[in-house]
Amino acid sequence: MASLSTSSLSFKAPSVQSTRTSQVLRKPLSFQPISFGRFQSSKNLRLQISCAAKPETVQKVSDIVREQLALSADTALTAESKFSALGADSLDTVEIVMALEEKFNISVEEADAQNITTIQEAADLIEDLAQKKPAA
Amino acid sequence: MVDKGQVISLCRSLLRAGRQYPDYNIREYAKRRTLDGFCTKRMTLDGFRMNKNLTDHSKVEEAYAEGKKQMEVVERVVKVYLAYPPKTKNIMELKLQ
Repeated sequence: MASLSTSSLSFKAPSVQSTRTSQVLRKPLSFQPISFGRFQSSKNLRLQISCAAKPETVQKVSDIVREQLALSADTALTAESKFSALGADSLDTVEIVMALEEKFNISVEEADAQNITTIQEAADLIEDLAQKKPAA
Repeated sequence: MVDKGQVISLCRSLLRAGRQYPDYNIREYAKRRTLDGFCTKRMTLDGFRMNKNLTDHSKVEEAYAEGKKQMEVVERVVKVYLAYPPKTKNIMELKLQ
């Protein structure tokens, strides 16, 4: 996050000379320490909103994972449990992703599917796709 | 040399193609066969992960080529099935609802 903000600061510097609209942007920049904190907190807020997958989604994902991997009912499944920790190899992950696609009626891309390692990530991805779908 | 990512993506595309069948029977069959086929491939995949054994590599290549051929077959047959969809729903599907 620090690298992001420094890059944005350096981007603003050349645009300072240009138009009047940039003056509005310039003002927060002059209070550099404050804007640093502000930028970070707004980014944090945004991250929080996008990260919060609904608990029902997480629950449904956990159910599907439990069923696919044939786990007993007492194995604790938190949102952070990794598939590999539960004894799933990459083919099991493929099956899980397929089952999730069918259940939630979404379509997961190849690249996204490779990155899913925990239940939370799967739930987040599902939420993302479910939101994008009605817009499309 | 076939790598793990290719095998995984072959598995996914086979599963996806198999899902398109309107007929319940062949849909389930395609799913079962790909997973079973890849489970045996899992043995060869493990061999690939340990990656010391050349003969396992050649088996993996064979299996991969076989999988590709089956993929073509599935795609072709899907088109035929889609042209003549079944008129009534299979009873197994009704129960799932």
